Amino acid sequence: MMWAQVINAFLGTWLMASPAFFNYQGTGRTNDLIIGPVAATFAIIAVWEVTRVVGKVNVMLGVWLVVAPWVLGYGNVTPVINDSIVGVTLIAMAMTPVETRGKFGGGWSSLWRTVEH
Amino acid sequence: MSVPRQILRNQKSEAQDQKLPPGWEKNPSSWSERLPIVGLALFGFAIATYLALYQWGLFATVWEPFFGDGTLTILNSRISHILPIPDAALGAFGYILDAAMGVVGGRARWRTMPWIVIVFGLAVGPFGIVSVMLVIFQPVLFDAWCTLCLASAFISVLMIGPAADEILARLQYLQREHHQGRSLWRAFWGLQQ
Repeated sequence: MMWAQVINAFLGTWLMASPAFFNYQGTGRTNDLIIGPVAATFAIIAVWEVTRVVGKVNVMLGVWLVVAPWVLGYGNVTPVINDSIVGVTLIAMAMTPVETRGKFGGGWSSLWRTVEH
Repeated sequence: MSVPRQILRNQKSEAQDQKLPPGWEKNPSSWSERLPIVGLALFGFAIATYLALYQWGLFATVWEPFFGDGTLTILNSRISHILPIPDAALGAFGYILDAAMGVVGGRARWRTMPWIVIVFGLAVGPFGIVSVMLVIFQPVLFDAWCTLCLASAFISVLMIGPAADEILARLQYLQREHHQGRSLWRAFWGLQQ
């Protein structure tokens, strides 16, 4: 759904602003400043129906945001809570259904089909 | 001389039978689909040109409403000058290339001008990726933000989705030509089979 991708674009942007807003440093800050723009980029591309499937990448980025505090060791509770909430929401929005079949000549997956269509 | 004439013949002979790509509800090469991308590219070109002019020393300072000295820090950083020309100048070149390639060709160019659609896609895609990398570098490497650089990156990402539908229609067309045993090479250059 389009609005789900718009929400994810804002979540990515929010991650970019979070370190300054909550004033935290360290690995949590670096992680948010890298994942934020990447998540926002995939979400913005996925706003359009023909490239909606690209938004699924944010499922992986969301999972990473949830586990990153424990893998990287943030040492600060604010980014842990922030990343967990953003991560779970990112996953939920990215998992909303993509229905473009039949609209774009079979879509991108048609390119991997070997038979005539 | 022979190539343009052949392209012309190809356009004329097939113009009537296929208005839309098979299985599509709208024509991805219509002007209503392409002009917004051209508009975005020209807007991006204006921003990048302005930043490049500062980097070349034509302006003493740059408009920055939110981040203090951020823009100056970014535009004078080592990443911005990693190439022989400033990065904003490269961006301006990318944008004007996108705008030019958005304008070239008619409403049937998904079929008649495959190569330009592919070049268009290659220009828009990697351009967006580089923009996002620069957005990451701003705060991580230099602890600074640059409003117009962010605006430029946003525009370059915004162009990817609208440009993608034409590329998909183009690739599907090449696939059909290939399945029908025709030369991909001739189809790619829009030549008569």
